[in-house]
This record gives sequence, structure tokens and C-alpha cells, in this order.
Amino acid sequence: MAISNITWRMAERQIEDPKIAFAYLRPSCVLLTKEPTIVNVKTLSGHLRGVSDGALQQLQDYILFPLRFVLKTPGSKQESLISSVMEAMTYVLKNTCVQSWESLRDLFSELCLCLCSPKDPGKPGAASEELKLSVLGCMEALLHSAYGDIIFRLYEPCMLPGLGAAVSLFLALAENEKAREVKMASLKCLLMLCLQCDCEEEHVEPQKDERTLLGNALATFLPGVSRALSLVISGDLRQGHAVTSKAMKVWYKTVGTVMADEQCEETKSKRADNGEELIVKRTPLWRKTTSKRLALVLRKIISCTSAHPHWRVRLELVNLSHHLLSQCSQSIGECVGPLLEALVGAINDEEPEVKNRCSAALEDVAQKGQSSCGQDFTDVLSENLHSLASSLPRLMRTSDDHRKLFVLNVFLGYLKILGPKVNLVLTSAVHLERISKALMQVMELDVSDVKIIEGRALMASADFGHDLYPIPSQKKHFQHFTDDRVCTALGKICRMLGHYGSLYLLVDCFMELYKESSVYRKQAAMVLNEIIAGAAGVGVEMEMHKFKTNHEDLESLILSVVEEYISLSNWHLTTVSEANTESTASSREPICLQLHPVSKPPPLHQLNSNIWQICIQLEGIGGFAWALGTNFQPFLMRCLYPVLEKAGDESLLISQAAFKAMCDFCTACEYSSPKELVIKNSDYLLNDVSLNLARPSVHPHAPRVLSVMFTHSDASLLPLVADVVQDVLTELDLSYDQRTPPFCSVLHSLMKALVRWFPTSTGHQKSPGEETKKESCVSLRQFLLDYQKQKDLAEGIGVEEEDLDEMDIPPAVSDPDEDMEGPAVQKELPLRVQIAKDVMERCIHLLSDPSLRTRLKVLEILELSVYMLRDDEEELLPMVHRCWPALLQRLTNDDPLAVPPAFKLLCVLGDSCGDFLRKRVSKEVLPRLTASLVKQAEISARSGPAYIHTLAYKLQLAVLQGLGPLCVRLDLMDVDLDLVSDACVPYLSSRQPIKLQEACLSVFRSLMEQDPDLCWFTLNELYSPAPLHPPHPLLRPLEISRSDNRNQFSDNVQALLKQLDHEDPEDSYDQHLGTNST
Amino acid sequence: MSRPPPDPLYILRGSGAPVNTLHFYCGGDGPPLLYSGSGKGAVHVWNLNTRRAEQVLESHNSNSVIWLDTFDGSRSSLISQGRDMRLCLWDLSEGRSAVTDSLLTGAVGFCQCSLLESQPGSSLLAHPTQDMEEVSVVEMKSWTQVCSLRPDTKLGMLMSMKMWQADSGPVLCAGYEDGSIVLWDVSQRHPLSFLKPLPEPVMCLDVHVCSQKGISGSSEKILQSWTVDGQRTLQMHHSVQMTNPGVSQMRIRADGKILATAGWDNNIRVFGWKKLKPLAVLQHHTDAVNSVAFSDHQDPTQRLLAAGSKDQRISVWSIYNVVHRTNIDTREPLAVVEDLLSSSQPEGMGRAAVKGSLAMGI
Repeated sequence: MAISNITWRMAERQIEDPKIAFAYLRPSCVLLTKEPTIVNVKTLSGHLRGVSDGALQQLQDYILFPLRFVLKTPGSKQESLISSVMEAMTYVLKNTCVQSWESLRDLFSELCLCLCSPKDPGKPGAASEELKLSVLGCMEALLHSAYGDIIFRLYEPCMLPGLGAAVSLFLALAENEKAREVKMASLKCLLMLCLQCDCEEEHVEPQKDERTLLGNALATFLPGVSRALSLVISGDLRQGHAVTSKAMKVWYKTVGTVMADEQCEETKSKRADNGEELIVKRTPLWRKTTSKRLALVLRKIISCTSAHPHWRVRLELVNLSHHLLSQCSQSIGECVGPLLEALVGAINDEEPEVKNRCSAALEDVAQKGQSSCGQDFTDVLSENLHSLASSLPRLMRTSDDHRKLFVLNVFLGYLKILGPKVNLVLTSAVHLERISKALMQVMELDVSDVKIIEGRALMASADFGHDLYPIPSQKKHFQHFTDDRVCTALGKICRMLGHYGSLYLLVDCFMELYKESSVYRKQAAMVLNEIIAGAAGVGVEMEMHKFKTNHEDLESLILSVVEEYISLSNWHLTTVSEANTESTASSREPICLQLHPVSKPPPLHQLNSNIWQICIQLEGIGGFAWALGTNFQPFLMRCLYPVLEKAGDESLLISQAAFKAMCDFCTACEYSSPKELVIKNSDYLLNDVSLNLARPSVHPHAPRVLSVMFTHSDASLLPLVADVVQDVLTELDLSYDQRTPPFCSVLHSLMKALVRWFPTSTGHQKSPGEETKKESCVSLRQFLLDYQKQKDLAEGIGVEEEDLDEMDIPPAVSDPDEDMEGPAVQKELPLRVQIAKDVMERCIHLLSDPSLRTRLKVLEILELSVYMLRDDEEELLPMVHRCWPALLQRLTNDDPLAVPPAFKLLCVLGDSCGDFLRKRVSKEVLPRLTASLVKQAEISARSGPAYIHTLAYKLQLAVLQGLGPLCVRLDLMDVDLDLVSDACVPYLSSRQPIKLQEACLSVFRSLMEQDPDLCWFTLNELYSPAPLHPPHPLLRPLEISRSDNRNQFSDNVQALLKQLDHEDPEDSYDQHLGTNST
Repeated sequence: MSRPPPDPLYILRGSGAPVNTLHFYCGGDGPPLLYSGSGKGAVHVWNLNTRRAEQVLESHNSNSVIWLDTFDGSRSSLISQGRDMRLCLWDLSEGRSAVTDSLLTGAVGFCQCSLLESQPGSSLLAHPTQDMEEVSVVEMKSWTQVCSLRPDTKLGMLMSMKMWQADSGPVLCAGYEDGSIVLWDVSQRHPLSFLKPLPEPVMCLDVHVCSQKGISGSSEKILQSWTVDGQRTLQMHHSVQMTNPGVSQMRIRADGKILATAGWDNNIRVFGWKKLKPLAVLQHHTDAVNSVAFSDHQDPTQRLLAAGSKDQRISVWSIYNVVHRTNIDTREPLAVVEDLLSSSQPEGMGRAAVKGSLAMGI
């Protein structure tokens, strides 16, 4: 037999013909019936494998008979025998179908009998685990193989006792058995009994009334099932995740079947006629009590699985929630809340599969909840939301970040599910208030950080860059949490609110809070920002609902919010303590004095809070730009100026936030860079600037904005700018006393911009240096002739003719007074020249301002104006003339700080105007300068290294550095040069600080250019390294008081002489010889 | 202490030349527009929503544009009058900027034309002619002359005029160089009434048809209003004294509540129309104001006042509207003005005092 078995196998063919099969199987069946031994069972099962499924099906009863007979034989049997029988039966059942109800019933009860203890059919017997396992496997196979039309007879009322016994058996096994496999197998059987098996095989799909039948039957066992399974679920973790999740599955499938919504109505009417006592009547009352009990069980289940370490369990919880919510949300009213909570809570699970499943489930539930107008459902949700909102502040204070995140995710999930129905919640004043207050409390910012106010913009709005580079939004510090994800979750909540809620209602509510108290202001602004973003669909991940707010509504709401944000009282907040910055203090003083006579500096946290408020508002405005896209363009009229104003704020946080807002504008309105934004919208900006300039007390920053604009725009702006410049100047004229500093900085940036926009054609207008160079190349003879002529002139010979020549020129070129008044010069000046002239005119007055800071600034402005005007001498010279007296004061009688810049200006003037200033300089400036140089020389020669940090030193250095070029530019001659060289000589000493020596060398180099002879003499008088020999014996030797001893001047003099010789050795020698010989 | 008068809502810059004339158009679809004519022949079409010039028309051979109006109730049909003695009709539809027709009037003066749409589709246009005293009324479509109105007595040059539709037919009110105002019946071609309120030339006049009252201004400090009674005769009415002389234009708002004048002293003055009560002085311009105009927006809260000045700017104001909040000025203009009125002469200093901002003879 064994051989034939093998042969069949080898042939890999099974017996198809039932007759042959019968003949083939018959001996072993008969043998087994006669001798129930393991060997015989094995033989049979071996033979079974050689028969095809079709044949098996036909012979099913015949084959099963001996096997069942073995089980039925009274008396104790070997476990291994039963096991092998089970194995054989399982094989048969797996490959065939049970078609008759009788065999199903009999097999079912026989299998149950195998499991239960002989005394109590509801309790499992003391069999080995292997046996139980095999019996359970067989049971499963049986249930699987049952025909669709007969399986439902299992659930008929008459079968209830037997079914009940089986169920309790399985439950007991699942609950008490140690072995994981047994547990699993029994749970699987239970699942099968619910007709909800999840394996791959084909299953019976119950029809509607069959489902009712099933539901009725299972209802009877529900209490037991719930109790036992909840115990399993909450059991030891060591039982493994598979058991837990399977138990959950069984539970929710059972509950889902019993409590299914669809069975709700009809059961009431139908069941009255059948008077079976065991049947539970699923009346509304029953449902109510059951759902209460279920809620208890559910809570237990959720509490022990929602944070289960294994993700499959959590996934199963999601499935549970989803299944129950979708199947029976109406009949288990009490459970909906916890179910939703569980579902929603899993939305942020770290396991992506759970997360995805959860969001899909939520999506589904939300859609169902939204579409089917389940009033109860909404009620439950809103109730949940309400209670959560109530407990939110407490939770946010007490729990850890993880828990906080969970709670917020739950909150978010509710909103998601509610969808547009969230309005029902919001229209209830109580709910709205609870939610809004909760958000206010939760989002409280921590403003105690010192860094907030310490952060200073290094260079206010220094560069707007040419590209939009992403700026990270500033990290906010909240009082109640530190995790960023919490903040993100809060943002999502607000956006979701805005997305679904009535925008008017929400904006109104939070605006109210915003205005109500400064405690809420920042949070309310944050919420408003997010709400509006959400309403516009920014940052809301909802593909399904293209739920969009009406665009006009959105715009009008944004407008009102923006207006509130940038209203004076919310925008112009104190962000620096008065003592901090001198410049702002001075400009603010007058106002402060008026407004609060006793002005206490606001405490640090107040300042910080103000800074944050402005930042949040800026963020909001930027966000609104995102929300509106190109439709934001008209808002630029209102927003751009205030934002730009903040871009120049001293606080780093604010200026960054403002800059970010500007970048947002650029993205929204499709500008390539903030620079372009400013240029393209300069008309709007200038409009605000010019209006605000007139109200300096309210808008102290208008000048600052203007400066920023000047810095960033280009020459194309000039016509528009010119218009505003007139406003600036007018305003300056009106308030010289108070508002000078800011206006000065405007003028400064204006002039800087002008210089940048219109670079003058040549660096130097005149180059007297070149002329002298040429001169130096003339021959000795020519030189002598010229010299003779000069000398004659000096002695008065031929003065008249020369005078005539010279007199002709000056009035035409540079009579300043006539130029000013002359009506003939009414030609239209280029705009830039006109502006520079106007500015210069103001500067003349401001040059004697009592504030040193202003004077310094004005000197800078003047310098720039001179650059601007250097091409138009007709305009420049009169202005210089008018400017002179004040400048002279700065040079001679002012603070030592003012002198160097004044001197620098003088150098620039000398450079631009040339000999126009020669007389004045030589008469009024040089004597004093040289005198002070001489005086200081003694001090500096004796000073220590610390001297170079003194003002006096800086002054000396500045003068020495500038003096040389000045002499050249002004074309100074004889006496003046003497003066200069005399004053400089002490600085050639090696005892002087090295820098002063260098500067002095530069002066002498310039002097060499101007008058080499003089230089030569002076230097030689100090120290002459080599004896002087006349080049020709006819010439007299030179007689000067030369000293050839090395002294303190030797080094420098030697260097200079070398240079002098090197430059033009013959020439200079010739010259001084020539001079001498005459 | 009195609060300062309101600021302009915004300034339109960039006309590049003195602004001579203004005309609002707020009807139809699209944004409200303001047309402005400059001293260099450019006509700017300002979009009041974006506050930018939508279109700039170069016209009249760079001669000054002294008058603008829209006709046929359309935003794209524009008529302009220039100092090159021409009237031009413009078609601005769909971004075009074409002169469709023009008329050589031969008038060299500054008198502005007056347009009257008597029936839909047909308009009468009164324009000055080569003959300094004559008014010619033509039919717009064909330029056929309806009548020529010339006073019998010597009144001097025609200075300003306004034509409107009375019950009996079109009527024209004309102001002359010697200060007289003549009411003409256009269809009968004869003068109905004659009034000489002031000896100085009538620089400007406006008539509010509903209240049957008109007002004229001159180079003097006085504004004189007069009524047109049932017999269609002119009668002197109120007069009001200003601080500084010279008015270049004045307009009565369509609702007959207020009157705005464009002053040579750089200020815009606002008066109550009923009793010529001085209400406010709007200061902004730095040169003489040439023109004022009220917008005809359907929404009364959005009605604006615009003023064009020699300083090349156009200031736009929102005054005496129901609360109109802006970020620039959140105060209610009325409150400001009441404030102004309650205070006597201000103790302003410097330029403000020179301007005599509020001294309007209160």
C-alpha cells in the first residue's frame, strides 16, 4: 500500500474517478473502523492525498465516517490518535465542502466535545496544547468548508446553546490558555464564527437578513465576548501583539455585527413572533444599555492599546475605531466620542502605516460625518471638542510635550472630521469662547528672554539683496511648551478653523480678543494670521474638499485686519528703552514729554512683548500676501510703507520679520527682489512718506523710510523723488529745531544716492599738477626769462596790462552775488543739480547747529553735494562762498571732533573749486592751522604710545594728510608754502609718531611738486648729507646754514632729498642753481 | 487746541507739468478713473484703485490742455480742449488712444467748454470762438452750429460758462471779462437775464441745477452766489469773503451740500453750499490750485474730491463722506472740520501762518 501510495505520488496524479477512489480508499476506511489506531489513521490520511478534490467531495461522508467513529467511540483515547484523526479531518474539510446541515451540525458539536471538559461543555478540557490546536484547526477548516446556505443555520435560535458553548469554549481558550498558537487559533475560530474571517480563502458573504440573523445570535454572546476579549486585550504584553490585535479584531467585528446601524430599525418589528428565550431582543432600550457597557469596555481597550509599543496593535485600534464608526456610529452613541478620540489620536503616529491608515480612516469618517447629516454625530463631536477645549489649557500646563502633541492632534482631528460643520460649533457662543480662550492661553509667548531686545540690527536694512533668499521664520518661545511640533500643530488647528469655519465669525471673535487686552494680543494675532492663511487654503492638506472662501470676503477681511495691525496704536510700539539709543531718544523726547510727563521706562518684558507683537503682525501681513497672491497688489498701497518702516527698525527681530514680509510680498506679487518691489511701488511709498513727513510727531520714521528708499532705488526715480525732496526740505524748514537729525540722515542718503546715480565724469576737474610738470621741463633759459618777468611783475613793472587781463576774467566766472540774482541765469537746471543746490543751501544753515552730531553729518552732506555740483561751477562757487563763513568756524573754533571732517571738506572744496578758495585759505585758514600744528608738534614729539588715541593726534594726522593735496589744488605759492613747510618741519623728526612722519612726508612730496626749490632749501637746512658743489666753477658756491651732523630729521630728510633728486635730478639742480645765480 | 485739517487721501504724482483740469469718471465697469490735463499737453488717465496712471495721451501739440470731459456715458469717449485752439475727441476703448475727430475753435482764451447731453446720443457743446465774446453751441455728432450767442453790449472776453437742461430747453450761463454774468436761452438764442455781481472778470462759475443757484468767483477775495428764479432771472444771493484773493475753479458737489474752490493761494477751500459757510481749508499744494473736481461714484462714501495744482500734483481728498477710515487719517473728517470751525484764528507759526490756513473770515 505504501508502495502504491508512492507510485501515485510519483505519477503526480490523483485519482479523479470517484469509483476508483472509493475502491482505493475503502480498505483503509474499513480498517480504521475496525481498528482505531494511529497507524490506520495515518494510512487513511496517506491515501486521502492520492485522491482528487472532486472525488473527495463525493466520498466526503464516507471518509469522514470512520474518523468520526474514532472520536465517538466511548472510552478514553490516546491524544495522539485524536490528533491524527483531526489532521485527517482537517485535510478532508479543507479540500471539500460541507453541504449538509446535519453533518455540519454534527461535526461542529463533535469537535466542540473534543475540546470541552467532559463535565462542563462550556469549559475546555485538560487536553494537551497540541491536541487543542489540532481540534481548533479542524474547527476552522470545518467552518470554512461549510456551504453558504447551511452555515447560517448555525445561528438559528435552536442552535444557540451549542453555539454558545462553542463561543464560551473559544473565549476560555483565548483567555486562559498559555500557548500563543492556541490562543490565536481559538480567536480565529471566533472570528470565523462571526463570519468575519480575515484569511485569504473564500468566505460566505452574508446577505442582509442573514446578517440580521447573525447579529441576533451574536448579541446573545456579546457580554461574554466583550468581557473575555477585553481581558485578553488588556492581558500581559508577553502574549504577543498578534494575539492582542486578533482579539481586538474579534471584538470589534462582533460588536460591529451586533450593533450595526443597518439592523437597528427592522429588528424591532420582526422578532416578536419567535419566542425563543435565549434570543436577545435588540430593542432600543437594550441598545442603549449595551452601548453604555460597551463604552466602558471600549475605554478599557483604548487605554491599554492606544500607546501600545507594537504598531500593529495601534493599527488595529485605528481599524477598530474606523470599523465601529462606519458600521454602528448611531447605535453606540456613547462610544463615538472615545472612538473618535482614539482615531484622531493616532493621526500623528510615528509608524507611517498607522498614520496613513488613520488619515484614510479619518478622511472616510469625516466624509461620512459631513455627508450624512448625523446630528448626533456632530453633537458628539462638538461635545468632545468642547470638553477638550476646556481641558486644553490644563493639559498644556501639566502634561509633557508628547502628551500635548497628542491632545492637539486630537483637537485637529475633530476639526477635520467636523469639516464645514465646525460652524455649528462655532456659532455657539459658549463653544467659541471656550475654544478661543483655550487657544489664547495655550499660545502664550514667553517674552522674558533678554536676547529679544538685545538683538540689534547691525546695519539697518543694509541690503535688500538681488534675490529672494529664504529667511527662516523666527523661533517663538512659548510659555507652555518647547516642542516645535506643538507649535505646528497649533498652527494647523487654526488653519483648519479658518478653512472650515465662518471666516467673519472667527475674525470678528479674534479681533475682539486682540482689542480686548494686551495679554491676548499676540496670540490673537497669531491665530488670526493662521486663520486667514487657512481660509485661503494655504497650508491645509485637504485635497478632497475644494472648500474655498469667497475671495471678496477674504480681501475685505484681510483689509480690516491689516488696518488694525498697522493702526498707530498697534504699530508704533516702544521697542527700545529710551536710554538705549541716543539718536532715537533725542528725536522722541519732545513727544514723550508731551504725552507722558512722567515717562517711566517700560519694563523689559513689555518691550519684548512689543517686539514680538510687531513681528507677529509683520508675519501676518506677509502671510496675507501669500493668501492673496497677486491680488495682494492693491494692499501694497497700505502695507508697504509700514513694513518698510519696520525693515529699518533697530531691533533685529523686527527688521528680519519685516524683511521676510517683504520677501513674501515679492513672491506673492511676482517681484524678483525686494529692491524691485520698492522701486516698482515707490509711488505708493512716496505718497505715504510725503504725507507722514508732515506729521513728524506721529510718524517719526518717515525720514527713515525715505532713506531706505534712496538707498535702494535708482536714477529713474529721480523725478518722483525730487517731488518728495521738496517736501522734506519744506518740512525741515518748518522744524529746524526739533527734527534735524532724522532729516539730516535723509539728506545724507539722498546725496549719497545722487552721487551714486550720477557719477561725475572726471575725478578731478583741474590738474594743476600736470601743469607744473610741464613747466618743470622748460629749458633753463626759458625759466630765467619767466623768472625775470615774474620778478618784474612783483616789483610793479607792467602791472597795469597784467591787471587788465586778470580783471576781465573773474567777474564773468565767479562773482557769486551777481550769479545768484541775475535774472538772465534763469535757465532750467538739471534736477539733480537743483536738488543738490537746495540741499546745500539748508546745510549752510545747519552747519552751525548746536548739536555736534548734526554738524558732523552736515559736513558729510556738504561733501557729497560738492561732488554733485563740481561739474556746474556756476552753481557751486556761489554756494561755496555762502558756505565759507560757517565752514571757517568749524575749521577754527569748533570741537576737535568736527575739525577733521571740516578739513576734509575743505580738501574736497579745494579739489573742486581750486584757486577760488586760495585767498581765503591762505588768509584765514592756513595761519591758524599751521600755528596749531606747530604747537602740537612739541607735544606729540614728547608723547608716549598712548598719544595716538587722542583727539589731538587724530586732528594732526588729518591735517597733515590733507595739507599736501590741498596745497597742490589751491596752487598755493611762496609765503603760504613757507608757512606750510615751517609747520611741517617738526614732524619730520624721528621723535614724532610714525604715522605723523609719514603724513608729513606726503606733505613734503606735494610741496616738491608745487615748489621743488623751496623744498630743497628747507630740507637742506635741516640736514644735508653731502656737501654741495656748484656744477660749474664759475658759479658761486652755495651758502646756507647747513648742518651735516646726523640729527632727528636726518632719516626723513634724506629720503625726501633722494626722492627729489630721483624725480628730476638735473632739473631741480638746474633750477636751484639758476635761482641762485640770479 | 485745534486739530490739524485732514490730510489728502493720497497724492497722484508724475504728471510732469502743472495740472490744469480734472474730470472723474466712476460709472460703468472697471475702476473709477480720473482724467487730468496738464500744461504740457498730456492727458493722464489715473486708475483710482491702483492710484497710477493707466494711460498717458499726448495731445494738442504739447499745448496746455484746459478742459476734459467724457461723453456718451462711456469711459472711453473723451473730449479735450487745448490751447492750440482745438477740441479733440478721443477713443480710448480697449487700450486705444486715437483722436477720432477734432474741431478748430479758433478760441485763444482760457474759457472752458461746456458739454450738455440733452438726449441720449446727442450732445450739445458750448465752446468759445475766435470772436472773444461769442459762445458757439454745436451739435456734437456733426459739429453743426445750433446757435451763436453774442451779447449786445460790450462785456469783454468770455471767461467761463456752464450749460444745463432747464424745463424749457437748454440754458447757458456765461461769465464775462467785466464781471457780468448772462443767462442765455440756447434755443431762443437770446439773453434771459443779466447780473453783474463783481467788477472783476468772472474767473469761474458753477451752477447747481437742483437748487437753482450758481456761484461765481474772480480774482478778488469775494465769492458771490446768485439764484435763478422761476422767471429765469438772476438774483444776487449770498456772498462770502476769503482770506486770499483769486479762485481758478469751483465745483458744487452733485448732492448740493458743499462747494470746493481752487485757490490761487495754494489752498482748497470747502464751503457749505446752502449758506456759503466756510468749512475747511485743505492745505497741501505748494503752488496755485488750478482745478477741483468731485467724483460721481455711485457709493456716496467713496466720493472723492480731487485738486490739480500748478505744483504738478493732484491731491485726492475724502471729505464729508460717511465715515471713511484710512490708515492715514482715522478721524472722521467732519469732526476735524467742526473742530476747525470752533477754533478761532490758529496760533500756527512759520509757513502755516503765512498761508493763513483758517482765516476765512469766521
